[in-house]
Amino acid sequence: MAVGLTLIFGVMRVVNFAHGDMMVWGMYLAWLLATRGGVDPYASFILCAAALFVAGLLVQRLLVQRIVDAPHEMQILLMLGVALVLENAALLVFGPEPHRVRSPLAQSTVWLGPVFVDVGRLVTFGVAIVLTLVLSLFLFRTDMGRSIRAAADNTYGALVIGTDVRRVYAVAFGVGAACVGAAGALVAPLLPFQPPTGLQLSVASFNIVIIGGMGSLVGAFVGGLLVSVAESLGAVFLKPSLKELVSFSLLVLILLFRPAGIFGKRAA
Amino acid sequence: MSHSSRRTFLKTAVAGAAVAGMPLPLRAQPKTVKIAAIHCVTGPLAEPGQACRLAAQIAVDHVNAAGGIKAMDGAKLELMLGDTQTKADVARAEAERLINAGAQILMGTFNSADTNAIVPVAQQRRVPFFVDISAADPITANVAKAVKEGQQKTQYVYRNFPTGTLFGVRAVQYFNEIFKEAGVSPKRVVLMHSNDLFGSNQARGFQAAHKTANPSWEIVEVIPWPEPPSDLSTEVSRAKAAKPDIIAPITRPASAQLLLPEIRKQRVEILGIVGPGSPGLYEAGQLAVLKDDLEYVMTSVPWPNFKHPKAQRLAEEYFKRSGGKTLDTNSGYSYDGIHVLADVLERAKSVEPDAVVEAIKKTSYKDNLMVSTGPVMFNELGDNPNAAPAMIQIQKQKPVAVWPKEHAVAKLVFPRPKA
Repeated sequence: MAVGLTLIFGVMRVVNFAHGDMMVWGMYLAWLLATRGGVDPYASFILCAAALFVAGLLVQRLLVQRIVDAPHEMQILLMLGVALVLENAALLVFGPEPHRVRSPLAQSTVWLGPVFVDVGRLVTFGVAIVLTLVLSLFLFRTDMGRSIRAAADNTYGALVIGTDVRRVYAVAFGVGAACVGAAGALVAPLLPFQPPTGLQLSVASFNIVIIGGMGSLVGAFVGGLLVSVAESLGAVFLKPSLKELVSFSLLVLILLFRPAGIFGKRAA
Repeated sequence: MSHSSRRTFLKTAVAGAAVAGMPLPLRAQPKTVKIAAIHCVTGPLAEPGQACRLAAQIAVDHVNAAGGIKAMDGAKLELMLGDTQTKADVARAEAERLINAGAQILMGTFNSADTNAIVPVAQQRRVPFFVDISAADPITANVAKAVKEGQQKTQYVYRNFPTGTLFGVRAVQYFNEIFKEAGVSPKRVVLMHSNDLFGSNQARGFQAAHKTANPSWEIVEVIPWPEPPSDLSTEVSRAKAAKPDIIAPITRPASAQLLLPEIRKQRVEILGIVGPGSPGLYEAGQLAVLKDDLEYVMTSVPWPNFKHPKAQRLAEEYFKRSGGKTLDTNSGYSYDGIHVLADVLERAKSVEPDAVVEAIKKTSYKDNLMVSTGPVMFNELGDNPNAAPAMIQIQKQKPVAVWPKEHAVAKLVFPRPKA
């Protein structure tokens, strides 16, 4: 989830406020495939990623491309508008009830003595690692990946050497959306979702990405781990209702002492 | 001024004076009474909010089909719709908007935080606010206190729904009676609750009632979670470590969908899941998602009295108009709310705010469909002391009332059978 957000920001410097809502659409897609087509979400995440890739490409071409060079406040307004449209479209299509995708994997647990491991979470964790590695390979070993990194490092430099930056931006946004589509399908059996869940997911993503470092893939991964562990420890040693206080306190500390995030580069 | 216009002026003035001098009942009554039904029809609590709105509309249709408000020349009820989006600031803005658009009475909202935000608007604008659903005690208690201490002149906020305190008292009573009926003596209860205004208030009410009743079972741990939660595995591990006999959850729809599967996955050995009263454990959408995880779960919630002859007919109509949903806590109380308001208007014979408030105070409405311990009436706080929950249980994927015995339509199953 956070990897997609950091990729889009890293390349275009556009903060995708519709990120959580795009993920909710990934969840609904997984739900549709599971209930209508009988496809398990742990298999359908590839289809969800593909669908969100196309959707992301279209959103970038039709909307985001027009405001890439606009001031940040205009970008924020546009992306908040997209978020509102996505949330209310989900409400119209799927209704207000919370949904959850049932999968045999997500229902099972493995017991190692007194310790239990949730198989659904374990699989999601494994797939997240694999997807991050695949994305790294794409960015570092393919021509398109190199073009994306070039555009992220220096847009004008990339233009000078003949890179089709508009195409690169569209692909980067599409790949970011595909990441969040896959994440949506993988999380759908673990987390109940309804149209307003998007905001909660967007806030969680921002927290992770800012802690890890905006624009850094490794940062997004490490940030996600840090936030989860901090919240779990907070729930054990403090009151469970204070667990979010722990992760957001971590965010405040990072902003105070390392504003660029753990793996972020300082702005020139 | 011309001759003819002077004559017109005189005619109008005489007619106006005649109308002003006429006794009140002979004046033309308004053709409609505008009731603002403000509920959370979008946002995290949209499912119950939409149930409230639909039931209010059905009740308005029934009142109008029966001739409207007869004491007001058959004035029809008109529902003006508002949506809080499950956000307190939006709730307040919606109340302002609908009052400006002509609403004469407010009704809502389901979500305690939203309802609480409308209270100051109702008091400032002098518009009667009839709370159909919301349990948090301060909603009415704060206004009653302000009126008692002379800071405000009149109370415009009244509630026909059990308060958190009342929920707590009844839940502890039902826990004791059910344990006795089943011939078991659980000792350790873990209370798990959402930490929003509703959840915290319900938890406080349950703990206070437990302290007063001092039963043979203990609340060994209280575990709150931020609502909506993204994960409850740590909370359930903590509950499991407390070795509970009973888990008493106060949920919302989304948190119930996390909590119940987690209890199963972590194999928490308990006699049963018995809630002190909350949404999330009986709605059609929840049953479709949670399936077996909800089987044998009990919760103490306001419930339609299906022994009332009208309740079954209404349930069938509601089923058709909602596309297959059950008449439950939310739809039932909003339906009753409109009928109580119709009764109030029959006695007030006016939509003048103070006349409506006086009529509300004298209410004694006996034809309510919800389980209760007496007629709908309002005490010094503006609450209905006869509003009462019933213990319902999910049996074969359907919620049925199992306690108290006089309202039960099925025998309770407790302890829950082992899988």
